[in-house]
Amino acid sequence: MKTVTLTNRDGATYLVDPRKPLLDSLHDQGVDLPYGCKYGGCITCAAKLIDGEVHQKAQVALNNRQLNDGYVILCVARPLTNITLEIGVESHDKLYRNPFLDPLAAHELKADIATPKEV
Amino acid sequence: MECCGPGYASPQEAMKAPREKLLYTIAIYTGTGIQKPDYLATIDNDPESETYSQVISRCEVPGIGDELHHMGWNACSSCFDDSSMSRKYLLVPGVRSSNIHIIDCGSDPRNPSLYKVIDGAEIKAKTNLSAPHTVHCLGSEIIISMLGDAQGNAPGGYLHINKDFEIVGRWENSMGDIKFGYDFWYQPRHNIMVSSEWAAPNTFMPGFDLEEVGHLKYGREIHLWDFEKKEPKETFYLGEDGLIPLEVRFHHDPDSSHGFVGAALSANIIHWWKDDAGKWHWEKIIDVENEPHPDWPIPVPGVISVILLSMDDKYLYLCNWLHGDIRQYDISDPHNPVFTGQVWLGGLLGNAPTVNGVKVTGGPQMIQLSLDGKRLYVTTSLFSTWDNQFYPEIRTNGGCMLQIDCDTENGGMKINQDFVVDFGKEPNGPSRCHETRYPGGDCTSDIWI
Repeated sequence: MKTVTLTNRDGATYLVDPRKPLLDSLHDQGVDLPYGCKYGGCITCAAKLIDGEVHQKAQVALNNRQLNDGYVILCVARPLTNITLEIGVESHDKLYRNPFLDPLAAHELKADIATPKEV
Repeated sequence: MECCGPGYASPQEAMKAPREKLLYTIAIYTGTGIQKPDYLATIDNDPESETYSQVISRCEVPGIGDELHHMGWNACSSCFDDSSMSRKYLLVPGVRSSNIHIIDCGSDPRNPSLYKVIDGAEIKAKTNLSAPHTVHCLGSEIIISMLGDAQGNAPGGYLHINKDFEIVGRWENSMGDIKFGYDFWYQPRHNIMVSSEWAAPNTFMPGFDLEEVGHLKYGREIHLWDFEKKEPKETFYLGEDGLIPLEVRFHHDPDSSHGFVGAALSANIIHWWKDDAGKWHWEKIIDVENEPHPDWPIPVPGVISVILLSMDDKYLYLCNWLHGDIRQYDISDPHNPVFTGQVWLGGLLGNAPTVNGVKVTGGPQMIQLSLDGKRLYVTTSLFSTWDNQFYPEIRTNGGCMLQIDCDTENGGMKINQDFVVDFGKEPNGPSRCHETRYPGGDCTSDIWI
């Protein structure tokens, strides 16, 4: 089992099965979370990973900038370590941007179309 | 013809229908942070009523996060000669959940109730489709454009439902080379259906990355279908003139071959028609100029989120969701539209931040016109994630609904000063309103066969 700590729920902690998606584990323990598609495609359940590591290869919603900002898609993500999360729309401060005012660099696109960052 | 089914014998008859006194509009909490279900709001718009311009009932769906979006009736004028059918149920899909909610509006029109839910998981399992969008009744059957496969990849297909709201399967025999789905409309007397293109659900649902347009992740084609064979037969590549072609409208006149689509990102109106030799053509007839903005490095595109035709096919209305204006064009000659009216509400250009005492957050988005063409209802939210990108204050302000009075003789529009519904003041917190329909049918619900 892994421990999930929620910073914006007064540091509440939950023990979760690392084989199950975090959304299901937290929902089963009474944590009310937004979600939509439940296959990692729609971003509604995005949360911010403050500490620890998750496996979320199935997600297709996040671009590389959002990943770099620590976002995880709870309906498909599974914890690899004990983790600390900020959940709900309070964690969405960096999730949405005006695409005309704040364009993505080529390496910040979604994984299937991103090009490696030139160093 | 026996006159006892739903709807009207013709568009001309529809225009004589009694004035709409109730409006049904989608209101969403998806993406707002409020953990409540989306709902169908019923609005009283009888000026003689004590509850005029207020939400009088709310029909919540069972889930949270469905993102209700567009909706359609179980029956329309396409079964006008079928006395066994009636316009009683609204089919209200959730784009994100793929659940399709069947809402009974007929038993108590002022207080609709949930009748049945077709589970999104069942739809995915039986048809490998997800992300329902446009609902059209087709005689006694119903078809719904589905924008993705079960994993949210394009192009999806069409879900076929029978009149008892059971899944029949997929409607189309082939998607041909179609890359994306979105809206569709058909004109059976010409054996034609036209479909447009948004993007794969996995592309548009998380939000709008402009760069993905250049990577061909968004549509720029429309497709002409052999309606009887249920397969595409011709594609129009619209290119830069037709980036993200969304709402598809044929003339209401069932004998006409003329139709229109609004290209959202290019902010153009594309017109198509069939010539005497049976060949189909397209042309760009309206081009909304991008507008400068003090804080933007590039001019702001209009983003035409919707178009609509009056029941007499005389006027075309369009919304520039980012600019904040609704425009009226006289399309009596569909090749040569004449700009006849314009109103401003919300938008990014700052031309009308407050209307009828309500701060308008968002811009004019979905519109619905009365059958007589005189009252146009407008709502301000587009799609939860896109709202959050362009109008982040909508989280706290909610959406709103306004009425535009339209001059059907000489052209022209003005905002009605007596009607405003502020969804920022809903009991569970600010919600966002989207598509609107009326109990008796409207200017996007009925097709004559």
